[in-house]
Amino acid sequence: MVMGGVATTGRKVRWGLVDILVLVFALVPVLWVVSLSFKTKDTLTDGSFIPVQWTWQNYADIFQTSEFVLALINSIGIAIISTVIAVVVGTMAAYAIARLDFPGKQFLVGISLLIAMFPQVSLVTPLFNIERSLSLFDTWPGLILPYITFALPLSIYTLSAFFREIPWELEKAAKMDGATPAQAFRKVIAPLAAPGVFTTAILVFIFCWNDFLFAISLTSTTASRTVPAALSFFTGSSQFEDPTGQVCAAAVVITIPIILFVLFFQRRIVAGLTSGAVKG
Amino acid sequence: MGKRIGAGKRGRSPGRTAALLGAGALATGLLAGCGSSGGLKINVYYSPEDNFQKVVDQCNAKAAGQYEIVYNKLPRGSDDQRLQMARRLAAGDTAMDILGLDITWVPEFAEAGWVEEWTGANKAEATQGVLQGPLETATWNGKLFAATKNTNVQLLWYDDRITPTPPKTWDEMMQDSQQLKAQHKPYQIVFTGAQYEGLVVVYNTLVESMGGHILSDDGKSVVMDDGAVKALALLKQVSSSGLTDPSLTNQKEDDVRQTFQRGDAAFELNWPFVYASYAKEKGADISHFKWAVYPEAAAGQPAKTTIGGFDLAVSTYSQHKPQAFQAALCLRSAESQKFSAINDGVPPSIESVFHDDTPVDASKPASADNPNMAMKYPMRDAILAALKDAAVRPLTPVYQNASTVMSKILSPPSAIDPQATAEKLRVQLNDALQSKGVIP
Amino acid sequence: MSHAVTEAPAETPKKAKPALSEGKKAERRLGLWLCAPAAIVMIAVTGYPILYSIWLSLQRYDLRFPAQHEFIWFSNYAAVLSNSYWWTAFGTTMFLTVVSVAIEFVLGMVLALIMHRTLVGRGLIRTVALIPYGIVTVVAAFSWYYAWTPKYGYLANALAGSGAPLTDRWPSLFVIILAEVWKTTPFMALLLMAGLALVPEDLLKAAAMDGANAWQRFTKVMIPVMKPAILVALLFRTLDAFRIFDNIFVLTNGAQDTSSVSMQTYNNLVKGLNLGIGSTMSVLIFITVAIIAFVFIKVFGTAAPGSDTGGKR
Repeated sequence: MVMGGVATTGRKVRWGLVDILVLVFALVPVLWVVSLSFKTKDTLTDGSFIPVQWTWQNYADIFQTSEFVLALINSIGIAIISTVIAVVVGTMAAYAIARLDFPGKQFLVGISLLIAMFPQVSLVTPLFNIERSLSLFDTWPGLILPYITFALPLSIYTLSAFFREIPWELEKAAKMDGATPAQAFRKVIAPLAAPGVFTTAILVFIFCWNDFLFAISLTSTTASRTVPAALSFFTGSSQFEDPTGQVCAAAVVITIPIILFVLFFQRRIVAGLTSGAVKG
Repeated sequence: MGKRIGAGKRGRSPGRTAALLGAGALATGLLAGCGSSGGLKINVYYSPEDNFQKVVDQCNAKAAGQYEIVYNKLPRGSDDQRLQMARRLAAGDTAMDILGLDITWVPEFAEAGWVEEWTGANKAEATQGVLQGPLETATWNGKLFAATKNTNVQLLWYDDRITPTPPKTWDEMMQDSQQLKAQHKPYQIVFTGAQYEGLVVVYNTLVESMGGHILSDDGKSVVMDDGAVKALALLKQVSSSGLTDPSLTNQKEDDVRQTFQRGDAAFELNWPFVYASYAKEKGADISHFKWAVYPEAAAGQPAKTTIGGFDLAVSTYSQHKPQAFQAALCLRSAESQKFSAINDGVPPSIESVFHDDTPVDASKPASADNPNMAMKYPMRDAILAALKDAAVRPLTPVYQNASTVMSKILSPPSAIDPQATAEKLRVQLNDALQSKGVIP
Repeated sequence: MSHAVTEAPAETPKKAKPALSEGKKAERRLGLWLCAPAAIVMIAVTGYPILYSIWLSLQRYDLRFPAQHEFIWFSNYAAVLSNSYWWTAFGTTMFLTVVSVAIEFVLGMVLALIMHRTLVGRGLIRTVALIPYGIVTVVAAFSWYYAWTPKYGYLANALAGSGAPLTDRWPSLFVIILAEVWKTTPFMALLLMAGLALVPEDLLKAAAMDGANAWQRFTKVMIPVMKPAILVALLFRTLDAFRIFDNIFVLTNGAQDTSSVSMQTYNNLVKGLNLGIGSTMSVLIFITVAIIAFVFIKVFGTAAPGSDTGGKR
């Protein structure tokens, strides 16, 4: 993987320094959130990066009632189901768009772009009305369906960009060897499309996990309320005080699944290439 | 060829799996949605308050099986609360019975036909012993559309080590502040100057204190008279005097509280919630944390402070209105208001509660663990005095439009030009009242 | 197999519409079946809401005055397009979009190269670099708010002297851009890195042997192969950037003319409960974004999905 030279110590040191820069840029604001979550109420605004008084109270507070835990369960379930379905459906559609010729292809691409472009804020109330009349309001499917819908445009575009780059010769070679199109897809194309699939999975998961607009509008109880919406229900000591410490503690807690998800998938983004049939 | 068709079918199997997954998810969701319901449930939708559930429990105990009140929390942000309720009411949702309305929403909800009028015995009970200001907020077009729950009013807060005697007027306050600045002591005058409702509250107080009017009394036309223009001049003067916090235009209630609590300011204009926070976070200095009524805008004319608070209304789409009225009356009864006042820091709207010194647990004497109104509200006399002569924000169904327009035009306060700004306000408030025109 | 045979005599132009071969028909069927789930879900969920929104934009409809509901054709559009608040917000939004996307593209490309090629701690870098994108936007915005408020926060104390950056227009805009860039550069970087992963090593080696230096290899080999990924990244990022809301809402609440078109739509739709004007603004935002998308696709030409069949024939 290294261009034109061995991994000398000098190169490693230089890359190490670059890495540290990236870490600082990415993590300093995150550490600030972590720091805020450990600060006591009266030192919250003292301006120091490292808390002068540490407390676990904020973390204890958010787990005091079952509301946050229920929200976590809702979030995990809804995000995973939405991601799986969106990626599967998106892969099918993207493959068709990139490789096959059929009427209405441009129309589908156009529609998905249209959906990505229309401001979601004005779609919420009509969607709310539909869900109410179908009894989907405040249920898991009530959130899963919109999430899939709004994740599909990006999925389709990303995945078709990947499918395009895979040379036809591979499929033809596989068919010459007697494989059916489905087998050709599974054994030859899919591994090469893996970077795209896992990239899309990460992006869709993060979208579903962090969405606030639909979560707050299409739910009303802990039956389906997800974590970003639950953050709006934390109480401060009065209507005027934002429970910053608790919100930051909750944010830290809910970022952990994201980190795990990304850690798990990031390896597979490039793994597909090295399983490699791509030559020349 | 046959291979192709077969391939098509096999190509679909991921699709079929997905469909099964989807159907499974749908079924699970629907089944989960079918809860059991025994007995009459009254759904109250209210702001999240730590101890409101206990009030609900107490009222359920009193109801003795006639109905069961279920507390549905609304989000913390008041815009989110209003939107959630408005959206569902516009769709005729029958699952909401009692609504917790911020006092500025009552005319709006009443005009839209979303809340039920209070009449007869219910009305008598809902208005008994209620202070004048809060009562005004629950009334629209001469009819009562809500029962007052709690109220709120701003006071002037200061530290008696820096300011032995509090100023009586805004001019005095600015002079005191100048002197303190010269002496290199904490000197700032802090109030909510961000571009939002809090700024409108401050401006409204100044206008009413000058005897002016922003809108007419029936809320149908714009007045913006002399008093309103003088209030603009005063607001500009304070904001450009160098006596305010540099972050004035980004400060909301909590920011103001923290600035004062940190010791950076001399005069704070804020709601009484600051006292409880100060006691908890800087308990050692609490004896020096003092209050006074809001400073006068025009010397000799007592200030008319804008009030806040919540009212309880019954939805017109409720399927159990008689019980909803009863439940609402219990939730805002004198006893419930006292409980909420002591435990959640929300001042009551019924006058007698202010003087009721029996502690939360009446069987034991008052103590730190069993507080009473006197302990939690040492400033209650000031609050009562302010409430007796309170100002309400303009009562109109389009209050949100008017407020957004006002907060935009008044921002930043230091850039106000009294005559020009007044004219802008006249034109744009007029548009807002017709629900024409675009909100910034 | 059979389609390769029928394609060989390619004299007849395809437009002459001969009977489709079985292969072509099966291919079309397959294509339609594969796309059906996506199409059905998307249209079922958004068809009515989008059409309803467009329909509402032609009406005077305030949720609080249901009796005054009437059809007024394009008066809403006239009202919005002649409103100075709208154009200020539009200008602000354009500025924020252009600047933040440009910065994000450059930083994203750099980050993608680092994530792809670093010799040290590759897994760590890739995971950590994505964390900003994974944090709830509102919380990240709050963290910037606290960081930039004087006295409260480390950045204000360190960099802003005695001023309050969030109370002036241009400093606020730059803080907003910083918050946006920090949050969404990983999105760009992830898509660009996945695109980088497709660049064949052999091609790069060949170019190096032909004497190309690193910059030339980058511009002449990597970027052309990455074009589809670049298109997706830029297009979607721009579409989202134009609809910026959360960061502005938390940092300044739109004060000092930092409001965006999305914030204004929110104010009219939610605070004003004015469905007519709110929907009009949504449609205008949509039209603007559609124009941007159109320009992108034209510039990128055949890199758009579905526009060519990737060298199949």
